[in-house]
Amino acid sequence: MEGKHSRWSSQPRPCDLLRKIRELTRAIVEDLSNGRSPEILIDRFRNYCTKPDSNCYCSSDLPILKETLTLRRESHLRRLDVLLRVLVIVQQLLQENRHGSKRDIYYMHPSVFSDQSIVDRAINDICILMQCSRHNLNVVSVGKGLVMGWLRFSEAGNMFDCINRPNTAFPVPIHVEEVKDIVSVAKYILVVEKESVFQRLANDQFCNTNHCIVITGGGYPDISTRRFLGLLVDTLHLPTYCLVDCDPYGFDILSTYRFGSMQLAYDAKFLRVPEILWLGGFLLDSEKYQLPQQCLLPLTAQDKRKTEAMLRRCYLQREVPEWRLELQLMLERGVKFELEALSVHELNFLSAVYIPSKIEGGVYI
Amino acid sequence: MIIASVRDLCLHLISSAFQRCHASEDLCRLSVILKRSPQSDPHSVLISVSDTGVGSCLEEFGGVKLRKEAFGAQIWGIADDEIYHYQFNLKENVSARRLTRLPSNPKNGLKFSGTEVCLSIIESIDVLVAEFTLFFQKILILKVPNVAIELVVEHGHDPGSRYVNVFLANECNPLSIPASNLERLKSGLEDYVLKHGNTLSTKCELCFSSWEHLKVGSGVACCTEGRKYSGSVMEAVIVISEISEVASTCPRTHGSKTEVLYFKDFSPCPIPQSSLKALTSIDWKSYGLSFGSVVVQGGFALVEWENLPPYVQIDIVLHHYHEQIPSGRLKTRRDQNLIKKAIRLALDDLKDNYAGVLLSAQALKIRSFAPDLAKTISSLILSSNDSEFRKECFSFLGLPSQGVGGEVVEDCIKERLITVVEMNDRDPQRSKEIPTFLFEDDHMQDSGSQDEEFEVEDAFSSMDVLKCNTV
Repeated sequence: MEGKHSRWSSQPRPCDLLRKIRELTRAIVEDLSNGRSPEILIDRFRNYCTKPDSNCYCSSDLPILKETLTLRRESHLRRLDVLLRVLVIVQQLLQENRHGSKRDIYYMHPSVFSDQSIVDRAINDICILMQCSRHNLNVVSVGKGLVMGWLRFSEAGNMFDCINRPNTAFPVPIHVEEVKDIVSVAKYILVVEKESVFQRLANDQFCNTNHCIVITGGGYPDISTRRFLGLLVDTLHLPTYCLVDCDPYGFDILSTYRFGSMQLAYDAKFLRVPEILWLGGFLLDSEKYQLPQQCLLPLTAQDKRKTEAMLRRCYLQREVPEWRLELQLMLERGVKFELEALSVHELNFLSAVYIPSKIEGGVYI
Repeated sequence: MIIASVRDLCLHLISSAFQRCHASEDLCRLSVILKRSPQSDPHSVLISVSDTGVGSCLEEFGGVKLRKEAFGAQIWGIADDEIYHYQFNLKENVSARRLTRLPSNPKNGLKFSGTEVCLSIIESIDVLVAEFTLFFQKILILKVPNVAIELVVEHGHDPGSRYVNVFLANECNPLSIPASNLERLKSGLEDYVLKHGNTLSTKCELCFSSWEHLKVGSGVACCTEGRKYSGSVMEAVIVISEISEVASTCPRTHGSKTEVLYFKDFSPCPIPQSSLKALTSIDWKSYGLSFGSVVVQGGFALVEWENLPPYVQIDIVLHHYHEQIPSGRLKTRRDQNLIKKAIRLALDDLKDNYAGVLLSAQALKIRSFAPDLAKTISSLILSSNDSEFRKECFSFLGLPSQGVGGEVVEDCIKERLITVVEMNDRDPQRSKEIPTFLFEDDHMQDSGSQDEEFEVEDAFSSMDVLKCNTV
């Protein structure tokens, strides 16, 4: 139950966060009143480095540095301005026990925020300052995750009975902390990178023949999808496989599920799913499953750059060296393929042959 | 000493006389009398420079070397029991020049001292009067209180044809006595500005209806290192004047340019090249000033600014002197450093004493955030449902705990923010700290991989870290 402990313990209560917001405000006001320049210290986290000797402590989840926001630099002022504006909104959401999306927040001061990413960064800063996760701030994003299969759960009193219709896509719940009563008779959880593959499996009635839960984040997974996946893994203790395109982006998405993203490194311990296993596609699958040559696409220059950069990530060598070998092979061969290419044999090749054969044969890493 | 022109020789003699007066602790008089020569030589002018100061030195006159014109001169030194008379001919080479001692006069037991130098030159009286007047207008900046200066022009024997102009320090803006050299220089420059370069007898009421129009800052840099140079002092005074708009009709000397006056050992003198270099190398930008160019005009430097608002004028005076007799010539480099330091201190002094003055461009930008930031902080306070917290914040801000409107809170926070921003700008050293990354080498080398990620932008790519602490 280690995963459960790390992912679901010590969730701060709204009253604790409101107290922290007041403390921050009070400190600023007190400094200003005493003629002192306020300084806001923000921890900085990372979930990997690219040091060649891998002599690092990225896996510790500890902050690596502290940044200080002051009134001495224009860039700091801009950041502080946004941070405090978002904090006003967060205070209001928490006090009124309401939820708001990142987009809602953006539209409250669009001229100041200028871009969604500015709001996102401020939200991250606030999470770090308040030592909490984003959902604790009552800030959510519009979910794009989907789930289907042998699963039933409730969210805030609403029942999600996937078992009744195991090949029907349900949206991944946004308020994951309110998910309860999880029941499943699945044998494994299958995470797929793309919604198109998810729909292929749904059309092929994959869950009828395979007692499993299928989940997708639709590309880079959002927080809700990752948290929901973590909740399922912690609750059901099922083997969890991940199926991504055999290209650098597929690999990056796989890494995001497994290790978390750099942007949300401060919250990585709650968002990563270390139990995840890589089911495919591997480059050698193209030979094993006789993928025609024309289905193999050459890596672009950008693909190569991205692959080379990913190969330097410390966690690959330390924790999943066999993944790294696969990635290296992709770079050496200079080719990639999409999972949909497997349909070249037959439309249901992926669901009827590829996935079952890999799971049954234990061909995953 | 090589002197280029008759004009310079006259100014040198007047300057020496002034220094003898300054060296004396008693009240002294410096008289410059110009008299048309007799009919026999209508173009020549007799000039007498006399003072009641102390420390006359014969060598000072004997060593003078003129480049062009030549003329005769006589010296009467007054000291001890007798009045000594000397004569030499400036037409002769310095090496061959002989000081001829003439018969002395007895003092008849009276105690007084002084020097008088007389010379006869060919020059227009009007030109000389203009030159000397300008010189005295500048020398008044030093505000040496024990020296009264008179400039007399006698056109003939008729007493009505006498023109007398008296230059007295401590007229317009009295100083407490005793005052330091720097205090006098500050007050002197204020007077100089208020009286448009001391061309007026009182301050210009059109331009300066109140004293608050002037902002004065001063700085002193001393050379304390090395026995050879110790005792060298550089004083800088800067006056920022804001004239009222009605004064636009008042003719001003230099418009928006800055006159940089230079004094060496209590005497106005042309600004040295090294000082010009020092002026150009000052980081004016950190004081919100954009240095344009500098030109030398009539011995003083005129600095042109690129961003000075209309109706604002900056005046700078530099005074370099030795508190002790120097044992060697000050090196140019030290001279430059002293100027830079003194000016910087004067600029800092202005910033310290006048809120919002000479803010750097960066501080101005930062200050522009104050209204928005104040509004946000005030929202954080006012929108909190914790009344105790609100009261506590009001108490920090010195506001009553109840009945305070949002605008009052906002204004109060804005004021404090501006104060802090201005304070930070006065202490710029810390803002210049270079950001340090402990892990600079691997700072998001593959950040490209994060671009497409759904959740957030690359949180670190635009990061501006002021200082980082290891943990």
